[in-house]
Amino acid sequence: MIEPVVHIANLTVQHQYHVVLQDLNWQIEPGQHWLIGGRSGTGKTTLAQAIAGHVPYSGILNVNFDNHSPLPAEVLYVSNWYQFTNLEGDKNFYYQQRYNKHQTNDTLTVQAEFLHFAKEKHLQFDDVKPYFETFGFENVHDTQLIELSSGEHKKLQLLKALWLKPQVLIIDQPYTGLDRQSRQELNQAFDDLAQAGVTLILISNDQTVPTCINHFAEIQEGQLFEVSSQAAFSREKERARKPLPHFLQKSPRITSQTMVKMSNVDVRYGEKEVLKKISWEVKAGEKWLLQGHNGSGKSTLLSLINGDHPQAYANDIVLFGKQRGSGESIWDIKAHLGIISPEMHWYFDQSAKVWQSVASGFFDSVGLFRNLSFENQQFLDQVLDFFDLKEDKNKLLNTLPLGKQRLALLARTVIKNPELLILDEPCQGLDYEQTQHFNAVVDELCTYGKTLIYVGHFETQLPSCLEKKIILDKGIVQSIEDILQYA
Amino acid sequence: MANYFNTLPLRDQLHQLGQAEFMNNSEFADGVDALKGKKIVIVGCGAQGLNQGLNLRDSGLDVSYTLRKEAIEQKRDSWKNATDNNFTVGTYEELIPTADLVINLTPDKQHTAVINAVMPLMKEGATLSYSHGFNIVEEGMQIRKDITVIMVAPKCPGSEVRAEYVRGFGVPTLIAVHPENDPQGKGWAEAKAYCVGTGGHRAGVLKSSFVAEVKSDLMGEQTILCGLLQTGSILSFDKMVEQGIDAGYASKLVQYGVEVITEALKHGGVSGMMDRLSNPAKIKAFELSEELKDIMRPLFQKHQDDIISGEFSKTMMEDWANGDANLLKWRAETGETAFEKTPAGDVKIAEQEYFDNYTLMVAFIRAGVELAFETMVEAGIKPESAYYESLHETPLIANTIARKKLFEMNRVISDTAEYGCYLFDQACKPLLAEFMKTVQTDLVGKNYNAGKDGSVDNAQLVEINDILRNHEVEIVGRKLRQAMTAMKAIKTV
Repeated sequence: MIEPVVHIANLTVQHQYHVVLQDLNWQIEPGQHWLIGGRSGTGKTTLAQAIAGHVPYSGILNVNFDNHSPLPAEVLYVSNWYQFTNLEGDKNFYYQQRYNKHQTNDTLTVQAEFLHFAKEKHLQFDDVKPYFETFGFENVHDTQLIELSSGEHKKLQLLKALWLKPQVLIIDQPYTGLDRQSRQELNQAFDDLAQAGVTLILISNDQTVPTCINHFAEIQEGQLFEVSSQAAFSREKERARKPLPHFLQKSPRITSQTMVKMSNVDVRYGEKEVLKKISWEVKAGEKWLLQGHNGSGKSTLLSLINGDHPQAYANDIVLFGKQRGSGESIWDIKAHLGIISPEMHWYFDQSAKVWQSVASGFFDSVGLFRNLSFENQQFLDQVLDFFDLKEDKNKLLNTLPLGKQRLALLARTVIKNPELLILDEPCQGLDYEQTQHFNAVVDELCTYGKTLIYVGHFETQLPSCLEKKIILDKGIVQSIEDILQYA
Repeated sequence: MANYFNTLPLRDQLHQLGQAEFMNNSEFADGVDALKGKKIVIVGCGAQGLNQGLNLRDSGLDVSYTLRKEAIEQKRDSWKNATDNNFTVGTYEELIPTADLVINLTPDKQHTAVINAVMPLMKEGATLSYSHGFNIVEEGMQIRKDITVIMVAPKCPGSEVRAEYVRGFGVPTLIAVHPENDPQGKGWAEAKAYCVGTGGHRAGVLKSSFVAEVKSDLMGEQTILCGLLQTGSILSFDKMVEQGIDAGYASKLVQYGVEVITEALKHGGVSGMMDRLSNPAKIKAFELSEELKDIMRPLFQKHQDDIISGEFSKTMMEDWANGDANLLKWRAETGETAFEKTPAGDVKIAEQEYFDNYTLMVAFIRAGVELAFETMVEAGIKPESAYYESLHETPLIANTIARKKLFEMNRVISDTAEYGCYLFDQACKPLLAEFMKTVQTDLVGKNYNAGKDGSVDNAQLVEINDILRNHEVEIVGRKLRQAMTAMKAIKTV
């Protein structure tokens, strides 16, 4: 008799007092490759963590490794959320830290990270090298982990999984932050793994999945149900359209018709040039799309605008009518804009409650350190209601499903009704429907005189209000053009 | 140069020692105005220098760095730190004469040399800032009478000063103006503006004096902060190994235990930390810590007395003059302890297990925090100062031990703290020899609650909770912690 690869019976997992999975049963036979989808917050990630042995559970959960297989007898779980540590084992980073230069290197280089992994898992470094070009990791030896963009971090952990080829591989949201080309290459790599005997479990609601996937399931009420295809996954409930709160229907006060003006901006770390001779002007009311491959310098460019990058002081940048470095503080700059980015989400104060996280947008702080005025309290209530966050307002931010966390952070960026909205890959990690929902909200918000800079990869998943496009390639402006109409 | 404190009449000594006032938010309403448009030159670009400078510039102030000629010519790390972040860097001769505010952020030991080089170049009526008063108070450095001398001392490592600022907060900060050097009466306004520039005003600011800062800082660092954590860690590890507990487990419990335990201290004070124990363990820890306080009180008092009299700084400066002979010897000895040489084992220890299996350390920390606080207050230091220099800083130092054990702690802290730490450790170990004989593995290494039914006497528990919660360090701590509730939790384990 052939044993199932994974045998789960009556699996129950509780988070403190909240039952996530209850009496769940699941059997994965050799040759099966599963896609788990469905609504967010149903326990998909928890199930994956249980199989990988990362959370305590009750019930039966057996993984039967094949002793004759050349592949390592191991379950590897690649999480959606990637946290790296510095050389001293400390996870206490803040997201702007990648822009400050310290001579003592706090994190490993990417190459050192690979070598460390090779040693730990008894792998040959030469075996991972062929993937480097495909995934754009040619400069690994002199790149520090902290310098990587969010998309590159995701690729790094995928690379490790492809390299290790464990008998069971579980990947939570494999396509997060990847551009189109990388997604195709990744799916090819998944098919190769399946061919080599790896049992794959992917958690995703994406439409394009590798051809090897031959089973589909979703979780409802703590139990697993098999469905016929990904088309059968339960959808999120359609969002009830609500009128935008009155205070957000007022056009923000515009301080200057030119919001951003950069002339020949250069940013370099030692020998490495991140941005080269960038000239760009953003005028009040314009809606910009900023695009470029992973690592092309998009986030660095935005960090110059929101005051986080120290090299702004050495460049010719005018923000909101004021020359950078002429006595303004970064808090003066941030008062004009609201920003959301995957990095900011990574390092956001996860111990804050939802309402505190949203309200911190009044002060541009990460976490709330001041009391709210009566008026601000009113605005907060209206915004929480608009974003359907009322019921969750006293929960900790990090206990919400990812999609809701992003909506909470979007709520944070708009709560002070800023002139400029900067949305840096706001939908990274969200599935198709969450993305549609999110972008519909962005379109609504932008009808009232806001200026927008939006970073996104997939042209079918963008807000429709965008009208201009700037494309970066390896730190250079490749093109600036008008967007006529996207379907 | 004569010890400044010892030149003062008693009434003045008492007056300066007793300076500590928790400042109201409204006192910072003028923001950075007092320094707006002024030229700020920072001497030194290490962790404090770089991070404070980044904050000040991001607050809209004009910041540049001056370094010794050799550091610039040889492109040392300090030069790279400053230039890579696009700051102007120049020699003393180039930049000091233009400065309205010179901020000295070099290591203590270099202060005399730095000030002697910098002072003649400073323009008439400029301001000189320190972040530690040792040079003024203990070495008795005399500053030109036209110069204003202030102190702004963030009570956290430089990296935290930056991290808290960029998230819109700050770290608790102590500010002072040297009464001998405030010819124009602008000292407080500039100290407050500087403090706003680093974000300190958001997390609680203590108006202090050079004397109070030095005498309390030295006391805290050599007793509870570094000295007792070192002694307690080594004794705990040795006891476990002697009793047959796996050395890898013991090493991990000790290395990370202080951090996990003091994280509770940070949030809820001594009683918050004790509340993490079961009732029977709490009663046991209370009794142990009472015993420890009786044993160690004379040692804490001796340290405070030597600090007040100047005996400590005199001895230490003799060692400086002697090429750090003692310091280097003691540093090497610490590197040779079994705890230092045993790597943390690859075992999982749950957060609560650090409390349940390390009751002894909870007792050490309660005893050390309360003793340091009590001894400082008895010596005339205000409770607010005593709180910052004892309870507040303990988790920060514990964090350095979690990173790389005692060697790391002694590397990160100042030379002054390191020297005092070794003095304390050497005196404390023999003092605790008899006590340690009574300690078994139920207090360190194994779960204290194992085999117990958890029952306690109501009256006894109520009495103990009452004593813990009503200690003065708890009362003042509740007030001060409210101002910094938002401080980020340290996550390393």
